[in-house]
Amino acid sequence: MRSRYLWSIIFFFLLLLFQTTILPIIAIKGVVPDLILILLVFYSMQLGQLSGTVLGFVYGFFFDVITGSLLGTTMLSLTIVGFVAGYFSNENKRDLYFNNYLFVLIVAMCSIINSAFNSFFASIDLNTSVVRLLLNQGIFPTLYTALISVLVVVFYPKRSFD
Amino acid sequence: MLRFFSDVWKNFKEYIVLVVLIVISLIILASNQKPAAKKISSTFFGTFANFASVISDALNITKYKIENSELQKKNVELMLEVSRLRQYGIENSELKDLLGIKDTIKYPITPALVVSKSLSSAQGTYTINVGRSDSVRPGMPVINEFGLIGIVYASSSDYSIVRTLRNIDLSITVKDERSRVDGVMKWNGSNLVIINVPKTYDIESGDRIITSDLSSIIAMPLPVGIVTGLNKVETGIFNEVTVKPFVDFSKAEHVFVIKVVESKEEDNLELNFFNRK
Repeated sequence: MRSRYLWSIIFFFLLLLFQTTILPIIAIKGVVPDLILILLVFYSMQLGQLSGTVLGFVYGFFFDVITGSLLGTTMLSLTIVGFVAGYFSNENKRDLYFNNYLFVLIVAMCSIINSAFNSFFASIDLNTSVVRLLLNQGIFPTLYTALISVLVVVFYPKRSFD
Repeated sequence: MLRFFSDVWKNFKEYIVLVVLIVISLIILASNQKPAAKKISSTFFGTFANFASVISDALNITKYKIENSELQKKNVELMLEVSRLRQYGIENSELKDLLGIKDTIKYPITPALVVSKSLSSAQGTYTINVGRSDSVRPGMPVINEFGLIGIVYASSSDYSIVRTLRNIDLSITVKDERSRVDGVMKWNGSNLVIINVPKTYDIESGDRIITSDLSSIIAMPLPVGIVTGLNKVETGIFNEVTVKPFVDFSKAEHVFVIKVVESKEEDNLELNFFNRK
C-alpha cells in the first residue's frame, strides 16, 4: 500500500514534466488535457476517498509551487476533486468503473468541478459571471481531458483481480 | 468522551480531513504574497525546471533546423526593414537635435528558452532558463518577436517563472495606439479584456494595443494585441474591450527578457503596483 502512495507521487512528477514540456505541442487553441486530474481520479478510485482527498491536496501544492500558480488555488480544487472521485472507490465496482467508459464520465465530472474553481478565481475581480466563464472555458478542456482518459480504460488490465 | 470522538472520526473522517485541508488551502491562499511562499516556490520550480530543461532541449534540437531556415528568411526581411528604419532614425535624431530632446532610452535584453509551460485556463505561466544569475528579476517584461508575453513573477538562480498575459493575476496598463486611450488590461479566464473603458472613449475593432507609458511595470511601448470587439455592458457607462494577443502562447519558445529594473531602489519604486495585490 505504501509503495502505491510512493508511485502516485512519482507518476505525478513524471506526468507534470510531460504536461508542461511535451503536451503544449498538441495544445488546441491553448488548451491541453489535464493529465494530473486523470491521475488523481485514478488514484482516488484506487486508494479510497480519504487518500484521494489528501493526494489531491499534495498534488495541488506541488502543482502550484512548481508552475507558479497562485498558491492554494489548485490545492483547493484538487482536494475537492480527490474527495469527489473517492466516492467511486467501491472495491466491488472498481473494475467495472475502470473497464467501462464510466471512468471517462467520472473524469469529465471532476474536470468540470476543477474548471468551476478556475472560473471562480478568474471571475473574482471582473464583471464576468462564473457560469459564463465555465461555459466558455470549461467545456473544451473537459472534453479534451475526458478524451485522453479513454486511454486508461483501454490500457487498464482487464483481469487484474482474477 | 474519547469514544465519542473516536466514533465521530470513524464515521466522518473523510469529511473532517476535507474540511481541514480546505481550511489549510484557504490560509495558504491568503498568505500568497509572503516572502516565505515565494521562496518555497522558487526552490521547487528551480529544481523541477532542471529536469524540464533536459526534455525541452531534446525536443528543440529537431525543431532548430526548420526554425533556422525560417529565421534566415525573417532576417532578410528585418534587414530590409532595419535599413528603412535607419533612415528614419537618422532623420529623427537630427530633428531631436534641432529641438534639443535627448534620446536616452536603451533596454538591454536577455534571450531565454521556455523550458515548461502551464497552460491552465486561468493561470498561464512559463518557466524560462534564465534567473538571478543572469540578472533577471521579478517585474521584468518578457517578449518575443510578436510582442509582449508577460512579466517575470519569481526567479531562482537559474530559472524564472513568467506570468503570461493569460494569467488572471496580471494586470497591465495599455494604450490604443491610434487614439492614445489608456486602460487596464486583464485576462478574464477566456479573453484578454480592457476593463472599465468609458463608452465615450474612441476604441474601434482593429486598433493596435500597446503597453502604456503610464504603466508602473512596463513603461515602454510594446505590442500587445489587436482589438477584436467591444462588449457593450448593458448597465453602466463602461465597455469591456476584447483584445486578441499577437503572441500565440502555446507556441512561444524563444523569448527575451527586457532588463528594465536595474537597481534595487528603482526596483522598489517601479514595482509598487506589481507587488501590491
